[in-house]
Amino acid sequence: MTTMATALQTFLDESRELLSDMELLLLAMESRSGEPELQNALFRCVHTIKGSAGMFGLDHVVDFTHVVENVLDRLRAGEIALSRDLANLLLRCRDHISLLVEVPEPSEAAALQPGGVVLLAGLEPFHSCAGSSHAQTDSTEPVAAEASRKCRIDIRIHADALRHGMDPLGFIRFLGTLGDVAAVRTLEEKLPVLGDMDPETCYLDFEIDLVTSADRIAIENIFELASDLYQIEVQDQCPVTEVDPVAAPLPAQPDTDESVESAAPGAEEQADTSQQNRRRKQVQHFRIQADKLDNLINLVGELVISSAAVSLGAEQSGDTPARESAANLNLLVEAIRDSSLDLRMVPIGETFQRFQRVVRDVASELGKDIELVVTGADTELDKTVVEKIGDPLTHLVRNACDHGVEAPAARSQKGKPTRGRVHLNAYHESGSIIIEVSDDGGGLSRERILAKAMERELVRPDAVLTDQDVFNLIFEPGFSTVEQVTNLSGRGVGMDVVRRNIESLRGTVELVSPGVLGGTTFRIRLPLTLAIIDGFMARVGDATYVVPLEMVVECTELSAEQQLGAEQHYINLRQEVLPLIRLRAHFKLSGELRKRQNIIVVRHGGQKAGLIVDELLGENQTVIKPLGGIFSNLRGLSGSTILGNGQVALILDVPTLIQQVARQEDAANRGFQSHARPRLSAS
Amino acid sequence: MGKSILIVDDSASIRQVVSLTLKSAGFDVIEACDGQDALNKLTGQRVHLMISDVNMPNMDGLTFLREVKARAEYKFTPVIMLTTESAEDKKMQGQAGGAKAWMVKPFQPEQMLVAVNKLVGP
Repeated sequence: MTTMATALQTFLDESRELLSDMELLLLAMESRSGEPELQNALFRCVHTIKGSAGMFGLDHVVDFTHVVENVLDRLRAGEIALSRDLANLLLRCRDHISLLVEVPEPSEAAALQPGGVVLLAGLEPFHSCAGSSHAQTDSTEPVAAEASRKCRIDIRIHADALRHGMDPLGFIRFLGTLGDVAAVRTLEEKLPVLGDMDPETCYLDFEIDLVTSADRIAIENIFELASDLYQIEVQDQCPVTEVDPVAAPLPAQPDTDESVESAAPGAEEQADTSQQNRRRKQVQHFRIQADKLDNLINLVGELVISSAAVSLGAEQSGDTPARESAANLNLLVEAIRDSSLDLRMVPIGETFQRFQRVVRDVASELGKDIELVVTGADTELDKTVVEKIGDPLTHLVRNACDHGVEAPAARSQKGKPTRGRVHLNAYHESGSIIIEVSDDGGGLSRERILAKAMERELVRPDAVLTDQDVFNLIFEPGFSTVEQVTNLSGRGVGMDVVRRNIESLRGTVELVSPGVLGGTTFRIRLPLTLAIIDGFMARVGDATYVVPLEMVVECTELSAEQQLGAEQHYINLRQEVLPLIRLRAHFKLSGELRKRQNIIVVRHGGQKAGLIVDELLGENQTVIKPLGGIFSNLRGLSGSTILGNGQVALILDVPTLIQQVARQEDAANRGFQSHARPRLSAS
Repeated sequence: MGKSILIVDDSASIRQVVSLTLKSAGFDVIEACDGQDALNKLTGQRVHLMISDVNMPNMDGLTFLREVKARAEYKFTPVIMLTTESAEDKKMQGQAGGAKAWMVKPFQPEQMLVAVNKLVGP
């Protein structure tokens, strides 16, 4: 019972995968419908689901997929063409199958019945000619179109046939599946005297009369497998009464090259393709449960912490061999950390491909013609990040289709091709992955955004804002420039939610206009992994804090005179204004103020800020442990980590800290309408 | 040590059903997801029986059958082909004289066990 249950789970996983393949194939076939490889792959998706569903007694799946399979079979045979209507219909069938497979019992599928009936009715014209029974299907085939006739098959068998496992009996039996074997004559000329007979050698040849409707190729195909051992000659419409076995021509030499070729016309070609298949070196995959992997990553995390503890101990002991061993261990642990994190890395391509359907659906709903171009699909990132990036990306892609790309009429007025483009791109850049969503639409109008923002009272009418500031207003809660809210983008989920989702992944999103394609480009920057980071440690009072190393720009000493003004919120760092965040004050830490203090200059999303700390402790590998639920409302902290000495250190949420400064800043700008307060320095 | 059986099918769930059935009957099972994969996994070890699907990506069951029969060490290994009740597969049956038996999907695991025992003995 349990075995069936686990197998059923496998079936579900497999079906989901096949269905997503099916979707991609259907979309790809809209432009390349003639390619037999795609057609075969598409057929195989449904075929496999049907076959597996049958094994589990999921008759509701089998019944439905059977019809779809029939249609795909005809498509593959070139009997019908893939029109846009049929593609739409098949996509909807795919969706229906995905619902069906999730239902464990045929009896529970009743609720889905009406939808299925509608789809089946839609498929009717595409498979009705094929008939409901196999007999009729067969009759449409050219092979079977010929009337039954008798033909004589001359079989010359190589002496080694038995040694190669090619028993003639099996072949003769299979001939019977093509029609009626009317007669089998055994030709025994080659039989030696009994004393010379070798039991492993084949001495017999055959002549067979077969009443069949199958054509010559079909008959010859039976022997294709053994084309080097069996020499076949098929003679059509040969009346059996005229055959005189003695008079029948018996070629003495069965192994001429010519005859072998004529016996199996397809053999060479087939051998070629199998060679190609072998050459196509396959990447081997195997499937493991995601939680096993998560467990491994957790353990590696613990290992990293322990190894840090060992290093610390060795360092303190002053024992040189111990220190060397610890250093060695550290190198290995780092390598293990990297390769185990790599296990969780998946190419983003799969996520990107999903959007082919999104773009297609959105475009047809809006009456636009939009093409999705995907580049950088091989770019890898952590599986946990991939899972969470889907929603924000969907929103951005929908937005690009809806607000970005103009309607065809407007496009041709501007002299652009009527077919719009949305571009998804991904690449790695210094420890982050960058995902860009671009469109070739009209781009953003600074004035419109500003006007709307003022109308919504997001900015004061007299505020002075840079272009980037204006564009960033789009991410403010409750902002939307399109007067008429369509049911596509205007789902009540604003860009602020997109930004929040991305920031929860420790990422950033920014808007560039004009973008890569002339319209708008949204650039998302995400960390490669969420589990382990390189951190930079610093001490404030008794507490240790960790700043993600990729955000650290530089460290500098806070000079004595700069310390004087306790109310001072910025310094002049090499002619640049640097806003300061006093961590001691921010976290309300007690303890003596140190004489010497340091500034860690951090950067996030184009903004810099200085964190004031007591002491700089240097780099370490930081395994991120999430903060418990009760701490989820804490601002400015993103997690915790355990240090080598067993102490807990808190990881600073730099984006939030910078934002807080920026908001104070903005509030100041909007409120005081003056430039007396410094702006954040843009980098 | 049990007799070993190779199962070739692109459907993981079918592989699992067949494999679990055979394992519980005391056989050793080698799994492969297509013909090419199967050929890679056949490294000269003794295999008593092969069970292969027909319609698979990369290398289909018939090509696999032909390739495996061309290898000296597997020439005599019996092969059961798995097929479905489709016109396409029926046409193919004619092309595979080297197979010992055909099984039409869906089948009951017990049915398969009967066929397997017939070919390789319990």
